[in-house]
Amino acid sequence: MTDEPLSTSLHPECPDPSRLGPDPAQGLLRARAARVAADRAARDDRWRRGFTRRRFLAGAGAAGVAALGSQLATARASFGQAGDGGGTLVVVFLRGGMDGLSALVPAGDPHLAAARPDIAVPDSALLPLDRTFGLHPALAPLHDLWALNRFTAVPAVSTPDVSRSHFQAQDCLERGGSSAGTAEGWLDRVLDAMGPGTTFRAVSAGATVTRSLAGDQPTLALRGIDTFVLHAGDTPMHARTVEALSTLYTGLDHPLAGDVASTMEGLNVATLLSAVGYEADAAYPEGAFAGHMSEMARLIKADVGLRVACVDVGGWDMHTGMGRFDDGTMARQLSDLGETLGAFATDLGGALDRVNVVVMTEFGRRVEQNANQGTDHGHGAAVLLLGGGLAGGTVPGAWGGLAPDQLDQGDVPGWNDYRDVLAEVVTARLGIGAGALPTIFPGHQVRPVGVMA
Amino acid sequence: MTDHDDRPESLPDDGTARSELWRRRSVIAGIAGTAVTATAFTAQRVLPGGDEPPAVTDVRRTADAPADAGGFANRDESYAAIGQSEQISATQVPPPAQAAPPTLVFATASEAAAAAEVTVPTILDTSDPALHLLRRTTFGPTPDLLGEVHAVGIDAWLAAQCEPIRIPDPAADLGWAAFPLASADPATVRSSIERTTWGAMADYGRATLARQVWSQRQLYEVMVDFWANHLNVPTPGPGGWDVGPSYQRGVIRTHALGTFTDMLVAAARHPALLRYLTAEQSNKDSVNENLGRELLELHTVGVASGYGEDDVRNSAYILTGRTVVGRDGPGEEGSFRYDPDKHWVGPVTVLDFQHPNDTAEGGLEVGDAYLRHLAGHPATAQTIARKLAVRFVSDMPPPALVERLAAAYLEAGTAIVPVLDTLFRSVEFWAAVGQKTRRPLENVTASVRILGVMPDGDIAHSVGRLYNATIDAGHQPLSWPAPNGYPDVHAAWRSAGNVVAMWNLHRALVGDWEDGLTRPDPIGLVAGRPAATVGEYVDSLCARLCFQAFQSAHRDALVAFLGGDPAAPIGRFVDNNDALGAIALVLDSPYFSLR
Repeated sequence: MTDEPLSTSLHPECPDPSRLGPDPAQGLLRARAARVAADRAARDDRWRRGFTRRRFLAGAGAAGVAALGSQLATARASFGQAGDGGGTLVVVFLRGGMDGLSALVPAGDPHLAAARPDIAVPDSALLPLDRTFGLHPALAPLHDLWALNRFTAVPAVSTPDVSRSHFQAQDCLERGGSSAGTAEGWLDRVLDAMGPGTTFRAVSAGATVTRSLAGDQPTLALRGIDTFVLHAGDTPMHARTVEALSTLYTGLDHPLAGDVASTMEGLNVATLLSAVGYEADAAYPEGAFAGHMSEMARLIKADVGLRVACVDVGGWDMHTGMGRFDDGTMARQLSDLGETLGAFATDLGGALDRVNVVVMTEFGRRVEQNANQGTDHGHGAAVLLLGGGLAGGTVPGAWGGLAPDQLDQGDVPGWNDYRDVLAEVVTARLGIGAGALPTIFPGHQVRPVGVMA
Repeated sequence: MTDHDDRPESLPDDGTARSELWRRRSVIAGIAGTAVTATAFTAQRVLPGGDEPPAVTDVRRTADAPADAGGFANRDESYAAIGQSEQISATQVPPPAQAAPPTLVFATASEAAAAAEVTVPTILDTSDPALHLLRRTTFGPTPDLLGEVHAVGIDAWLAAQCEPIRIPDPAADLGWAAFPLASADPATVRSSIERTTWGAMADYGRATLARQVWSQRQLYEVMVDFWANHLNVPTPGPGGWDVGPSYQRGVIRTHALGTFTDMLVAAARHPALLRYLTAEQSNKDSVNENLGRELLELHTVGVASGYGEDDVRNSAYILTGRTVVGRDGPGEEGSFRYDPDKHWVGPVTVLDFQHPNDTAEGGLEVGDAYLRHLAGHPATAQTIARKLAVRFVSDMPPPALVERLAAAYLEAGTAIVPVLDTLFRSVEFWAAVGQKTRRPLENVTASVRILGVMPDGDIAHSVGRLYNATIDAGHQPLSWPAPNGYPDVHAAWRSAGNVVAMWNLHRALVGDWEDGLTRPDPIGLVAGRPAATVGEYVDSLCARLCFQAFQSAHRDALVAFLGGDPAAPIGRFVDNNDALGAIALVLDSPYFSLR
């Protein structure tokens, strides 16, 4: 089996893109537009014929639930409507509980050095930020962005409902930071508030759907653009296969029908992007996280309408052996984080002004180190923010220091609320109106922290 | 400074949050279970553990007990609840009890199968319970296996599957033997590969896949996968380079159909788990809570049991002293060693477990007593019962079934087979046709099995190719990185990337792109079935690969793919890629995607 030039199948009537434009790239673009139009017509027809039942049966004897309806409705807007210059939010979730006191360090706090004789970052090594806070030296690429007002951080962020269980804390945050939240992820509600978008407007990196995006809104969970290509043979065979696949999922009363609908729509764009080829405009480090961020930058630059992206990074649950500031597990992890985010910013160039990255984690860690030069689960966490529109030159948010009477069972308390930080970002970056915030963060009265200008 | 008095007044501070968690679980589960349960609502259940958490007086403080943080009890329950919100808010009062509860559990599985009525619409043919059984208890039905169940009957087949040691397994043994380090003890591994490299664990993952695909002991392999995810130690993964295979064999495979108590006690003495959750580095001077917490949350009682931070701390205290021998000994490197000098001594209390724990030497026995206590705890019974029901029945299993399985678990002293027996004698199992979706790994294995694909030449190479396919699909055996194991509900796996990965896999298998594997013969596949015309061929393919006829629109799509004329003779396409494309499409279809 050889890889056929799949792009030649993009145009329904004209298989040769070179005939469509003055050069192959222009031809491909025009073929793409024609293909999108044809797909939309075919899809509308499919919806008329079936696909419209609104029942998803979850279990033996389940009652009906409205799920597919809103999903299909919002998937209708096509790739052809991208290029509106809208912003993009990239949520990077550090799984395992990143130690905020290693990343955003309260320099000069005597309680930190006393509690962490082996692992505290010495003041002399810190990269200075605002107030007394300093940045871990492994995050130097972010300090460069700080100087350009493209980076900031907030200390001691949590919500009142977050527990010290990985699962519970992640689940609580990803559903909107409150036990009173609904089952859908908070970003699913953000998408709902934004209204229709393109197939690529929400992308989750990896094999499973990030919990924050799980819900009724269509999401593409992808491991990469170049693997998101259907290898179905030569052009006629490919076309017949796509046609058959579309019909095979018509009339199916199951969420798979929605998965396949999103797949079919996304395939055309991904196939084109893959066929055109790509080289990043920055040197990313090795590794899965960098690979995912590079792909997100690729989608942003391709202007396919990406509005919300989710990338997970594991490996932050450092109960043992965090190491020194210049050598060890934490230094390596932060180095990968900093280098990747720095490369992402470089890669985007001017497009970074329309993008914000929010780096969050389920909880911070205990102030006191344990006997294994690690830290156990704590509470208040550090949030890192990149991109345009930030209130430059400040580390916003409340902070009470690390004196014992300021701590919560030995942890940094949640002086600042995740929901306030996130609300500010989605309002400024995605154009979410204030009226939608009570739906996105149920039961919470938003109070701006001051992260955005 | 921001003030922190915006905590909603209604937010409970006295333990009602925990009750709320139970209530919500019950209501959600009740939605899914109303049609086949008599009294689904269990809001008034007594909480295991009983004690109330301290009042929260400082609004900055986190909840002491994870359960008080509200929300869902575990990840899969959370994902599966999506789309159920309207029902949650609409269901404020318990539904009225039904007048005459139907019989839900029978003396035998076959009687339950005969009594069950599939009332939930599904695209799958619901007429053959044997097929449903195989979709749920194997890594993919085959015509031979279906014939076997039809021949011996459901009850005899299940009974045989519950005694895997008596089932000859030559094909899987061949596959297993192709990976010698999968069977090697830790000392052999250490002398065979470079330190801390992952060769042995890589062998083990591939050998596992070979068993899943070719074993005759299918229910056993399904349960091995279930427990490996429940007591997850990623293989390959950190800390397992020499001891990972030993953990999978000696803890998971040994006890997969034994008792959970034995499995848990063995796990908590195994170097692989102690390293993975860093318990071997914990000691009395400053404990680390990693294993102590996950043991409660993931492995046994779950957050809904209401344990608090003090319980977590005590759980970690109890486990101190369980270490792994290092390179300098004493004893064999990588073996388990209890070190009394590292054990925290003093009274310990975790939920309703109490012990004076007054000697360092006795710490290992205290720990084992604690583990046995947890394994037999009613809250653990709930955890495992629900997880089994999610695996075998539906993403939102009926609560009455979960209660029944939990009761069977406790009555049987944590023995697994009696719980499975109860499951298969329950109507809910048989009524749930089509309610599960194949995860990527299950789609890979089912595809290989239904096509009858076999190694062609070097077995290790062949299995390696299949293993790579599971990597491409994001679901290789034993490899979820976090302690909670792979998700087991469709909502977590909804992914365009996975959809395309499966479509490409199907084409790779039928198109012979995976060298080292036999390729199915398009005509041989439907041997003995009508296949003179396009229409007959399509019908025979559907029957052969999905065991049923497709709905007419879907059948028409396949006929259209093959030229559009159902009466056309097949001669003109069987020698080209059209037939292979049609086979792949049948595997792409929703009829094959569900289980």
